[in-house]
Amino acid sequence: MTNIEKYNNAYKQVFGVDSSKLNDEFGKETVGEWDSVHQLGIVANIEETFDIMLEPEDIMALDSYKAGKEILAKYQIEL
Amino acid sequence: MARWTIKNVKISGVSAAVPDRIVETHEFEILTPEEAKTFDDTVGIKKRYIAPDNICASDLCSAAAVKLLDDLGWERESIDILIFASVTGDYKTPPTSCILQYKLGLPQSTFTLDLPMGCCGFMYAMTVAGNLLTNGHVKRALLLVGDTALRMGSLKDKSRVPLFGDCGTATAIEYDPTAEPIIVEFETFGKGYEALITPHGGFRNPVTPDSFKYEDFGNGIVRAPIHTLINGMDVFAFAISKPPRSILNFMQDYGIDKDRDVDFFLIHQANKMIVDRIVKKLQIDPNKAPYDLEEFGNLGGASIPTLMVARIQDVLRTKPTSLLMSSFGLGLTLGTMHMKTKPMVVSELVKI
Repeated sequence: MTNIEKYNNAYKQVFGVDSSKLNDEFGKETVGEWDSVHQLGIVANIEETFDIMLEPEDIMALDSYKAGKEILAKYQIEL
Repeated sequence: MARWTIKNVKISGVSAAVPDRIVETHEFEILTPEEAKTFDDTVGIKKRYIAPDNICASDLCSAAAVKLLDDLGWERESIDILIFASVTGDYKTPPTSCILQYKLGLPQSTFTLDLPMGCCGFMYAMTVAGNLLTNGHVKRALLLVGDTALRMGSLKDKSRVPLFGDCGTATAIEYDPTAEPIIVEFETFGKGYEALITPHGGFRNPVTPDSFKYEDFGNGIVRAPIHTLINGMDVFAFAISKPPRSILNFMQDYGIDKDRDVDFFLIHQANKMIVDRIVKKLQIDPNKAPYDLEEFGNLGGASIPTLMVARIQDVLRTKPTSLLMSSFGLGLTLGTMHMKTKPMVVSELVKI
């Protein structure tokens, strides 16, 4: 499985959406059910999948699909 | 670095007292049945003990202390130090520890101290008292840790009301040259002080009529500035990132193997999601990480001693036990502590 597939899985598991729905517009502002519990679910999936421990500011900033990609880049995870 | 190795000090006994009134999540009128079920399932707190308004944290701690002193057979005159760790003291002044010294009949020679350090309260109390006992000039300390946290906030705040339970604990520690060293480390992230805050009521923002004006913040959060608030995402982000990293560094620096050297990880029972994340990140055997929040809720500083009383009491009574403790909260602060206890007195849970 590629890194982008792993990354997409984090969202698919939390929101139950298909990969086709995932794009840079997908986030807190556009997804009605996005709340702190969902955000933590994504954080948990990403940390486990990529074996990293995010800093608090990154956990708070991970409020969209696009932001998540940028944050992973900080941890040398190429998607 | 705020690290100590505290020698010559052991825990001799621990007790806890709760109000004799259980409130299940679905009983909170501000939650719909669906919201209550979701809360039970995700946050993991199904019930909690809630005190009536005329019972304060000091009353619960006092009941726990009386029971523990009786069970230990300690004379009141033998107590040198009394620490009360709480953010819900009786009055703004005087310190509640002084009132407790009087009510418990402790001698005038008692050194008293209030520590308003929130969820790390037990660990701060252990550290301060332990360092005061370590050279043997004084021999015995009573650590009273408890809160009645529900009443600090708005009863119209869905983000906070179901989280907390009321409890008071007592821990007896004493000078013992044969005790294994207690190792402790603290960190402070004061930049995050607004994550858990009561905006009005101190001297920065004294109480005025505006302190009681309710505002609707959406998502079922309605509160006034006099109420304690939780910035949920800030707290979550802190709680699932800093404590596990701190525990890992602590174990590495002191050569503690999580599988070989630790019998139980006592993690502050903030909520199930947070504790689960920490357990998973540390790859701890779940059998070594007891939970009690399903019965008690978040007890603030009393969280860890209550785990000892309610979940691992039989082991603590009978065997030497290696404990790795982690607290985090208000401030923001976090503490990590390791100790090897001797068999101790663990009182039965007191209900008043």
